[in-house]
Amino acid sequence: MNHRPFEDWLLAEEPLTSEQKTDLQAHLRICQPCMALAEVNVALRVAKPVAPDPGFSTRFQSRLAARRSAQRRRNLMGTFILVVSAVGLFLWLALPFLQWAFQSPMDVFITWITTLSLIFTSLLAYGKAGSVILHVASGFVPLYLWVAVFALTGLFGLLWVASFRKFANLTEGA
Amino acid sequence: VTEEMDWIIQSQQGNDEAFAQLVAVYQTPVYNLCYRMLGEPEAAEDAAQESFLRAYQNILRYDQQRSFATWLLSIAAHYCIDRLRRRRFTSISIDDDDDEHPMELPDQSALNPEAEAARREEQEQLHKVIRSLDATDRAAIVLRYWYDFSEVEIAESLSLTVSAVKSRLHRARRELAKRWQEEQPRTHLERSHHESPAF
Repeated sequence: MNHRPFEDWLLAEEPLTSEQKTDLQAHLRICQPCMALAEVNVALRVAKPVAPDPGFSTRFQSRLAARRSAQRRRNLMGTFILVVSAVGLFLWLALPFLQWAFQSPMDVFITWITTLSLIFTSLLAYGKAGSVILHVASGFVPLYLWVAVFALTGLFGLLWVASFRKFANLTEGA
Repeated sequence: VTEEMDWIIQSQQGNDEAFAQLVAVYQTPVYNLCYRMLGEPEAAEDAAQESFLRAYQNILRYDQQRSFATWLLSIAAHYCIDRLRRRRFTSISIDDDDDEHPMELPDQSALNPEAEAARREEQEQLHKVIRSLDATDRAAIVLRYWYDFSEVEIAESLSLTVSAVKSRLHRARRELAKRWQEEQPRTHLERSHHESPAF
């Protein structure tokens, strides 16, 4: 008999008949690779687990406490940075308007009305410009191109949402 | 509800004492897996601690229909595989011999000191050759032989197909045998003429 079936028996690790055992014993005396495989099988079967040094649970509790403390510090630092940034941004944005505090109520009212009417007229102008462009473009841009543009926009939107979700899951699972 | 399931449910409700019980019960299996995977006691201690931390952080995701041991050992195996891959990139040799070995659990049936010494030597040899395996093959071998995981359980734990696990186990054992033969050519020859291993 050649080498292959003996190696297969050793790899399968299934019970052998007494005749197969005798054949295998005879083969092992002449085949070093199979002998090594059999020895490895035995060594793996009798291998015992190793235990950690005493006090593993206590060390885990300490590590958990340290991790929590670090997490708390990170959260505090994050909150602090966020608050400082928000206050800074608010002050930066509010600075031009702070002068109102020193103006009469009528001046402040007039400034507000002027600003609002400026925003309103700008929006109206943008809307008109957009409708003119669309009207002109619809004349020479074919329908399938519009469909393609909207489909691509939708696809990119979906891709963005999917990648965002995946990234969020990865961060959560890390 | 078993005592273990009770601890798990309490841990999921934020009871640290209950999780400490789980750590006490599973410290040896998790540490042993990490030690067999990483080969060094310090790295194994660190990996085992980190595995428990990850289990603690993700305890709410544990599906109570699954075995807790399988879930926990799967976390440890994945962590060790990642660590071995990172280690390969930082080109730290894993073949360096270290004199330190962690405490092996005593064999109550070992009455013959010579046989025990021979067994220890054989186990050290096995520990050395296992370190030559690829990270995933190593995990498959450890889960199969130290934890009696079925091929299906190994596949679930390592996110592989059952056929991939079978082929990895065969390949890994062939590789182990080859290394085993290379490590002890003389001893092997002497033994091969006189005795055969038990089946």
